[in-house]
Amino acid sequence: IMYSLPLCHCLSAPLEPHFTECISREQETFRCWWSPGSYHNLSSPGALRVFYLKKDSPTSEWKECPEYIHSNRECFFDVNHTSVWIPYCMQLRGENVTYFNEDDCFTVENIVRPDPPVSLSWTLLNISPSGLSYDVMVNWEPPPSADVDAGWMRIEYEIQYRERNTTNWEALEMQPHTQQTIYGLHIGKDYEVHIRCRMVAFTKFGEFSDSIFIEVTEIPTKESTIPFTLVLVLGIVGILILIMLIVITQQHRLMMVLLPPVPAPKIKGIDSELLKKGKLDELNFILTGGGMGGLPTYAPDFYQDEPWVEFIEVDGEDGDSGEREDNRASDTQRLLGLPHPVSHHMNMGCSNAISFPDDDSGRASCYNPDLPEQDTLMLMATLLPGQPEEEEASFDVEERAPASSERSLVQAQTGGPQTWVNTDFYAQVSNVMPSGGVVLSPGQQLRIQESTSATEEETQKGKEDEDSKETEEQKQKELQFQLLVVDPEGSGYTTESNVRQISTPPSSGEGYQTIHPQPVETKPAATMEDNQSPYILPDSPQSQFFSPVADYTVVQELDSHHSLLLNPPPNQSPPPCLPQHPLKAPMPVGYITPDLLGNLSP
Amino acid sequence: MPGNIRSVCAVWAMLVCLVFCGKLTTVDAAPLCTNAQAGCHVLSLANLFDRVIQHSARMHGISNDLHSEFELYFLPSKNQIGRVSRNCHTSSILTPNGKENAQRMAREELTEVILKLLVAWRDPLWHFHQSMAHHHDFNNFSSNKSLEMSDMVHELRKGVQKVVEKMQMLGIISNSVSNLASPEALLASDSAEWRLMKDYDLLYCFRRDSNKVQNYLKILKCRIVPEHGC
Repeated sequence: IMYSLPLCHCLSAPLEPHFTECISREQETFRCWWSPGSYHNLSSPGALRVFYLKKDSPTSEWKECPEYIHSNRECFFDVNHTSVWIPYCMQLRGENVTYFNEDDCFTVENIVRPDPPVSLSWTLLNISPSGLSYDVMVNWEPPPSADVDAGWMRIEYEIQYRERNTTNWEALEMQPHTQQTIYGLHIGKDYEVHIRCRMVAFTKFGEFSDSIFIEVTEIPTKESTIPFTLVLVLGIVGILILIMLIVITQQHRLMMVLLPPVPAPKIKGIDSELLKKGKLDELNFILTGGGMGGLPTYAPDFYQDEPWVEFIEVDGEDGDSGEREDNRASDTQRLLGLPHPVSHHMNMGCSNAISFPDDDSGRASCYNPDLPEQDTLMLMATLLPGQPEEEEASFDVEERAPASSERSLVQAQTGGPQTWVNTDFYAQVSNVMPSGGVVLSPGQQLRIQESTSATEEETQKGKEDEDSKETEEQKQKELQFQLLVVDPEGSGYTTESNVRQISTPPSSGEGYQTIHPQPVETKPAATMEDNQSPYILPDSPQSQFFSPVADYTVVQELDSHHSLLLNPPPNQSPPPCLPQHPLKAPMPVGYITPDLLGNLSP
Repeated sequence: MPGNIRSVCAVWAMLVCLVFCGKLTTVDAAPLCTNAQAGCHVLSLANLFDRVIQHSARMHGISNDLHSEFELYFLPSKNQIGRVSRNCHTSSILTPNGKENAQRMAREELTEVILKLLVAWRDPLWHFHQSMAHHHDFNNFSSNKSLEMSDMVHELRKGVQKVVEKMQMLGIISNSVSNLASPEALLASDSAEWRLMKDYDLLYCFRRDSNKVQNYLKILKCRIVPEHGC
C-alpha cells in the first residue's frame, strides 16, 4: 500500500489521484469527488475505483463505492450506506496502486455543508427620524433538504450584505433564527444581501443563497411636517391670544407696542394743528397757495359720474344734524328769502327721485361708499382731526356751508339736467342777470337778488381772502346773497370736493367760459381733492341763457389737448348712480391740474 | 359515658373522613394529561425538554471549543478526524447512527441511550479537568471550560432523568427504563477503559458523544412534544 505523505503538496512531486472533497448536505447522505491529479491516463472512467472503510466494528473492511457518478467523478453514498458518528476512510485504487490519504477519513457530521436557505425576503422596519437611514428585517426559510423540523439538524445562519458594486461584504452575527434585522442602511443606496448557514457548533459553511436587493428611496414622510405645522399653528394661536388679551385688558402701552396706530400721512406744508378750530385762516392761506406753493391737487378719479362732491364734516355731525336742519332752513331762508323750505338734500348725482329723501338719512342714499380711495380718505381725515370716518359724513353733500371756503358757488349754468337738488346751502346759479341778479337753479330763477358784479366781487373776495370768511357771511346775509354757502356756526372747516360740471359745448361759449384745468392758485376753490373753480370768470356774466342747461356735467375724459370732454348734458334722467369701481371710472370729474393728468388713465 | 364516647367517635370519624377526602381530592385534583389535552403538564414537559436541549447544545459547544483548541497543539486535521488511535470508550453503547434509525428507535431505548452516554462521561470528564488543572499547559480558559464541561454533563444527566420521570408520570414512556439510581453498574466493566485515552482522544470522543446526545434529545422532543419550535 502506497500512501502519500499527507501534507506535502510539493510542486516537484506529481500529483496523485486524490479526493477533492466529501460533502454531506443533510447529514443523511454524502458524496465524494476525486481527481486523477497529474495522472491523466487515469482520468478515464473506471481507471480509478473508490473504496471506503466504515469503522463501525473492528472487523470492518474496505468496500467499493456503492454508487458511481462517473461524469462528475463522484461517489454517492445514500441513506443506507451513511452512518453518522462513525469514521469513514476513502481510498482510490488504480490497477495495482492504491492511493490513500489519512486526511480522507471523516465522520459524516463533520463534513456537513447545509444547502443555502431559501425564500429570502425583506421588510422595512422603520426609517430614522433624520430620514437618512432605515432598518430592515430579513426573513428566510431553512434549506428544504435539512430536516430541521425533526431536530436532526440545528442550523445557524449568517447574513452578509454590501452595497451594490462594492467588493466587501458586511457579515452579521450568526444566529439560529430564520429572521434577522439589518440596522443602519442608507436611504437611496442599493444593497445586496445573501445568506449561508452551517450546523451549530460545526465549522463548515454551506453555499451562499441567491442575492436579494434592498433599496429604499426617500419617502416623504408627513411626520416631519406635522410637528412643523403644529408648531406654526400653536405659535400663531398663542400670539393671537396674547394680542387679544392685551387688547381686552386695554393696556395701552402694550397696545401701542403691538398694534401701533397707523400714522396719518403728513401733507407737506400742512400741519394738522391747523385743522383744529380757529385756525382756518392759516389753513386757507396755505391752501390757496400762499404758503409753500400750495397743495397738489388730487384727481379723485373715483368721482365718476357724480356731479357733486363728498365732504367731510369737521365735527361729529350727529349732534349737529338738528342744527343743520335748522341751519338749512335758516340758510335757505336767508338765502332765498323763502319760508321754511322743504329740506332737500343734496343730490349726489343720482336721479332726482332718489335724491329727495325725506329724512336725513337719505342723504347718503346715493353715493357709493366704495368710491373714496384710501388716500383721499386719509387726506380728508388729516384735515379733519377727530373726524369719525363715516361714510355718510364723508361723502355726503355737505349741507353746511363750507366754512369760508372758496365755495362761492358762482357757476355758469349751461343747463342740462338738474343734478343738484337745491338744499339750504347750495344753490346752483344757473344764470347771472345783467342786472347782477343771479339765476339759480330751476325753481329759483326768480330769486335774483343781487347784481352779478357784486356777486363776483363777493366771490372773488371770498376766494382769496379767507379772513373775510366771517365778513362774507355778514355780507351775504346782508345782501341776502344766496351764493355763498357759509357755515354760520363757524364750527369748523368743511372740506368739500366739489365736483363742478361745466359743460363746454364749444359752440356756446359765449355765456360762459370754458374752464380749463388750471393750477390751484388761480382757482379759489381749494379743496385738496380737486380744485374746482366754481367761479366763472367775470368775462361772461352776461349769459343770457335761460335755456335749461345742465348744471353739472360729468367730465368724461380728457382729449389730447388736455381739455375736458364733458358729456352732452342728457336731458333725460341723470346719470344713474352706479357703484363703479373708482379706478375704472372714465375720468375724474371736476378740475384737474395738468400735472395730475398724467395720473389719470383714460 | 356512651354519649361521650359516641360523640368522640363521631368527631374522630369526621376527622378521618376529612383527611381521606382531602387526600382523595388532591389525588383527583391532579389530572393526568395526555398529549391531546391542552394546557396541562404538556407544556411543562416541552419546557423541560427545551431546557435540557439548550443545556446539551451548550455542552456540545464547549466540547467543540475545547477540541478546536486542542487541535492547535496538534496537527490540524482536514475533517477534524485526527488520529484516533482507538475507539472511544463509549463505543460499546449501541447508538443509532442515522436519523431514521433514531426515529425508529423506541422512546425508552433512546432515552436509555442518552442516559447511558451521559453517565459514561461523568468520571472521564472529571478526571480530564483534574489533569488539565495540574498540567498548566493550557490557559485558564481551557481549564475553565473543562470544569464547566464536567459540571454540565452532571447537570444534564440530572435534567434528563427528570424529563424521564415526567414522561413516565405522564405515561408517555413505560417504566421499563432501567433503574437510574446506580448507573455506574452499567459501566462497571468499562470504567477502566477511558483511563487509557489520551486527552485529545477523550475530547474528540466527548465531542462526538455530546453531539449524539444533542441529536437524540432533539429527536425525542420533536417526537413527543412537537410544538414550540421543532
